[in-house]
Amino acid sequence: MNTTTPDHPAEDDITDGQKIVSYSVNRRGEYELIPESVWQPVNVVNQQAWQEIEKKIDLSRQKVLAGQVSCLHYYMTANQMDPALLAQYVGQSRWKVRLHLVPFIFNRLSANTLRIYAELFRISLDDLRTGRLRPPIYNHQ
Amino acid sequence: MAANLLSYQGINISEAMAFGIGGGLFFGYLPFIRINGMPLVTYRAAPGHILRQIASIPGVRMHQKKFRRQDEAMAELDRALASSMPVGLQTGVFWLPYFPKALRFHFNAHNLVVYGKVGNEYLISDPVFPQPVRCPAEDLARARFASGALAPKGKMYYFDQLPARLERGPLILRGIQTVCRMMLGSPFPLIGVRGIRFLAKRLGKWPQRLGRESADLHLGHVVRMQEEIGTGGGGFRFMYAAFLQESAEIMQESLLRDCSASLTTAGDTWREFAAMAARVCKGRARPDDTYSAMAGCIDRCADLEKKVFTELQQWVKGRS
Repeated sequence: MNTTTPDHPAEDDITDGQKIVSYSVNRRGEYELIPESVWQPVNVVNQQAWQEIEKKIDLSRQKVLAGQVSCLHYYMTANQMDPALLAQYVGQSRWKVRLHLVPFIFNRLSANTLRIYAELFRISLDDLRTGRLRPPIYNHQ
Repeated sequence: MAANLLSYQGINISEAMAFGIGGGLFFGYLPFIRINGMPLVTYRAAPGHILRQIASIPGVRMHQKKFRRQDEAMAELDRALASSMPVGLQTGVFWLPYFPKALRFHFNAHNLVVYGKVGNEYLISDPVFPQPVRCPAEDLARARFASGALAPKGKMYYFDQLPARLERGPLILRGIQTVCRMMLGSPFPLIGVRGIRFLAKRLGKWPQRLGRESADLHLGHVVRMQEEIGTGGGGFRFMYAAFLQESAEIMQESLLRDCSASLTTAGDTWREFAAMAARVCKGRARPDDTYSAMAGCIDRCADLEKKVFTELQQWVKGRS
């Protein structure tokens, strides 16, 4: 038996097995800085947050495919934004961003407007025009 | 992060010590500031506050700047690095590619130290990771201009003047005094020990007020804020206990050692709450893992912390 195996498998680990610094008390009651795996409850609550995000992304994808919202809605949700935050990033007003989520209006946007969104999400103009749904920024490699 | 910045300029100081003399420990439950649609729960003072406290030490001069434009902000960073000055930056973690994927939320109060540039990549010492990391310029620029709550606006800071040696004693006293004032004497019921009790009261009512599912999400959010990577766990309580322990050594004061142990107990109680909360979130609650039990747990944290900080406050008064 290998005793150095961590008590949870690496794929559960939110840092992909990367050690982080943590404060722990040794036997003499003194504090030490030890590189450790993430504490298990932290993994649990992080997974909970991600499940929630993925649920939202799935819902958004379905809506896009059903033609209820523009593909911009998918990119916004996949990058954990809401119209208010997206508006701040692209320097537009909120109501404009909300309008751009409507397919009818989105399909008539100028290349310049689309380019701002494409740059933010690091996708091509073509992706937005054809409505291709690519993974969010944090999944780019 | 302040510690990193100081050590690069020849002042050897531990992270816990910098946190302590910066008066870093805090508690605030601020439901009117929303992070991903949930109330802000914070266990430490704003990074700006810690830095200001350190900058006000006699002999220290800190230079701090915010920017409107990205290119200006990056040019200024390069200028500082060119004069081999390590620079502290406030960033949004969502845009930092070296962060593990699972931690990339829109959270904007993350501080790191840039100490060099190679080609188009910046060399970064991030308090979260034991080793130095690298980040492409384009990503760093985005991270510095993240939008949303607590937007960094390109904030950068560095110390352009430092004393040869820091006289720790008075700084420790002052740091402890600041924290005691925050934790015990705040007139706002959302801050300090009263804030902890307020959170306990609110949390106990979440299932009725928000419904089961949303209550669980809020609960998970509180635990994430508390155990967030870089806190050292237990909502910075362990880090502060480490500071008290180090101070006990420097000032030859056994009371500080006792307070450190009591604060460790408080940190353990916070973790007890987190473990209970995690079981609830995972749907594996034991029979006694209820919202009222968790509220009780947080109330116990409030009692423990009240006791520690009252003792510390009296000690500080006795010394000055």
